[in-house]
Amino acid sequence: MSLTTNKNFAPDQKGQGWKIFKSPKLEPFLYLSPSIILICLVIFVPLVIGISYAFQSISLFRPSDTGWIGFEHFEDIYQDRKFYKSLRNTFWWTFTSVILQFSLGLGLAMLLKAGFKGQKFFQALIFLPWAVPTFLSALTWAWLFNPVIGPLSHWMFALGILDEPYNILADPSIAMYGPIAANVWFGIPFFAITLLAALQSIPDEMYEAAAIDGASKWQVFSKITLPFLAPMIVITVMLRTVWIANFADFIYVMTSGGPANSTQILSTYIFLTAFKKLDFGYASAVSVVLLVLLLIFATLLLKMRQKFVRVN
Amino acid sequence: MSNIQLRRISKSYGDVEVMNDINLEIQDGEFIVLVGPSGCGKSTLLRMIAGLEPITAGDLLFDDELVNELAPRDRDIAMVFQSYALYPHMDVARNMGFSLEIRGEKAQIIDQRTQKSADTLGLKGLLDRLPKALSGGQRQRVAMGRAIARDPKAFLFDEPLSNLDAALRVEMRLEIAKLHQRLGATMIYVTHDQVEALTLADRIVVLNEGKIQQIGKPLELYQSPANLFVANFIGSPTMNIFDVKRVGAELQLVNGALIGMSGGGAAVSFGIRPEHIAIVAQDKGHVVGTAEVVERLGSDSNIYTQVDGLGQVLIRHHGNTELNIGDKFGLEFNVSAAHLFDSDGIRLTLDK
Repeated sequence: MSLTTNKNFAPDQKGQGWKIFKSPKLEPFLYLSPSIILICLVIFVPLVIGISYAFQSISLFRPSDTGWIGFEHFEDIYQDRKFYKSLRNTFWWTFTSVILQFSLGLGLAMLLKAGFKGQKFFQALIFLPWAVPTFLSALTWAWLFNPVIGPLSHWMFALGILDEPYNILADPSIAMYGPIAANVWFGIPFFAITLLAALQSIPDEMYEAAAIDGASKWQVFSKITLPFLAPMIVITVMLRTVWIANFADFIYVMTSGGPANSTQILSTYIFLTAFKKLDFGYASAVSVVLLVLLLIFATLLLKMRQKFVRVN
Repeated sequence: MSNIQLRRISKSYGDVEVMNDINLEIQDGEFIVLVGPSGCGKSTLLRMIAGLEPITAGDLLFDDELVNELAPRDRDIAMVFQSYALYPHMDVARNMGFSLEIRGEKAQIIDQRTQKSADTLGLKGLLDRLPKALSGGQRQRVAMGRAIARDPKAFLFDEPLSNLDAALRVEMRLEIAKLHQRLGATMIYVTHDQVEALTLADRIVVLNEGKIQQIGKPLELYQSPANLFVANFIGSPTMNIFDVKRVGAELQLVNGALIGMSGGGAAVSFGIRPEHIAIVAQDKGHVVGTAEVVERLGSDSNIYTQVDGLGQVLIRHHGNTELNIGDKFGLEFNVSAAHLFDSDGIRLTLDK
């Protein structure tokens, strides 16, 4: 393009300083730079600093004892019983929540897809749990389980699930079901809405062709609907798993990891280590372990996606 | 294979009635084409036969057995969709064998049957491809292969060729005709293309506004259309229709020309196909016209002629016509091939 005919523009020689930015390799990065700089500042830099803490002794209770300590924290983690307990709880908490959220969300999406009177209203209603701040939801659920002010333990007693109406959040063997119940209630809308969108994108003709081919309802579901949903399922399950594994709000508010660490998951353990025990070094080391575990999980899932997902 | 009967079939959506009193008996092995303009209800009728659309009233019988309430999967019919509706996550072989897979057939039998129908349709090298890796014509073949592989009671086609280009359409039309001859199966075919209807059908059902206009063999529809709608719809280029009035014993065109037909007391319209008008000297013939447009199609030519007081008349002439725009000539109607229609558009039977 020539600009020489336009007198308002400087001649070409004067703009030479800009030429290096005009090179085809650099130019795209120039346009991306605002977001790249922002991402570096708010994510990448803190991440690197955080990871570096894992190899340092930084505890506010031992201010004189700071400095690089190599893999000492990780050796401690290897010996840490509370860490293993939290790790087991994390798996339990994450997979129970995800599986229940997913299956109930899928069921709800199929119901909404089927269509009924007042469907639009319910579709809006279902989204409500997301509009409530998690802190409030957690408090409300904690109160619901409290036999003094909440009905849940009385109902469970009436149904014969409990021997007497006590607070399940106080019983180490079943306390985890409290936050899981709250989390399932909170997470169903996400799956319902995303899967409903995916369901609605399946052409009606697929169902008609399957009906004519003689497929039963179950066969239609397993051989048509599920393969079509697979890409969405993989992505949403991955997102939610990472999310829930890191999601400390409900547990922190409802049980603070107790009683006797029976609801302690890694993210609450990290939070408590950092902000109650003020041992930032050790908390960072545990975070690094959690990060590695989640990265492995995400990689596995994405590999699975390449192998199984054929619709797109 | 089976015969299919439709008795007084109606279809309404709420208060809106879209099909009314459809009666049709389809013989075993017959090729029936449902044809009509878009919105005439032909696809709805096909979908009712398939079981994809509930029947509001009337009886649908397969082999004298009432199937109104049967789900599509229990009717044992195959359908080829306009969009093909291939399963995108299954390769060609699995697409074709899907109904057998559903039925729980042995893998060996499924393999055998898909191989056989793939051979029939020339899909042999494509069996492990996904539909997205196929061309439109190949997808169409897979959709047909899927229907053939299951050996159904009847084949239903819902405008199967309308997504193909013209050359491919002619080729696939031929394949469908061959397929019908080879399989001898009952086939019901929906199209808006009268050429497909005329070339494929044993019998054509012309539909308009949810009603059957005429049922007949292709030539019957062409030679003796039941009413103005069929006369206009079947035949390309379309029939010329002129208003007529009775003067004494003779019928007269609106421009005063006599057409030499005396029968048909209630006649108000006179229909003559473009191929039944001869070009003669100016002083002969029924009327005189001037050529306005000459379309040379090679095998024949269409001559759009302006006739004073009558408007535009289309004439079909031989391919090497020497007529040019502006030429004046006489038009002679082949009266024995012409039709008269009454004020309701019904064709009058004439004793010739």
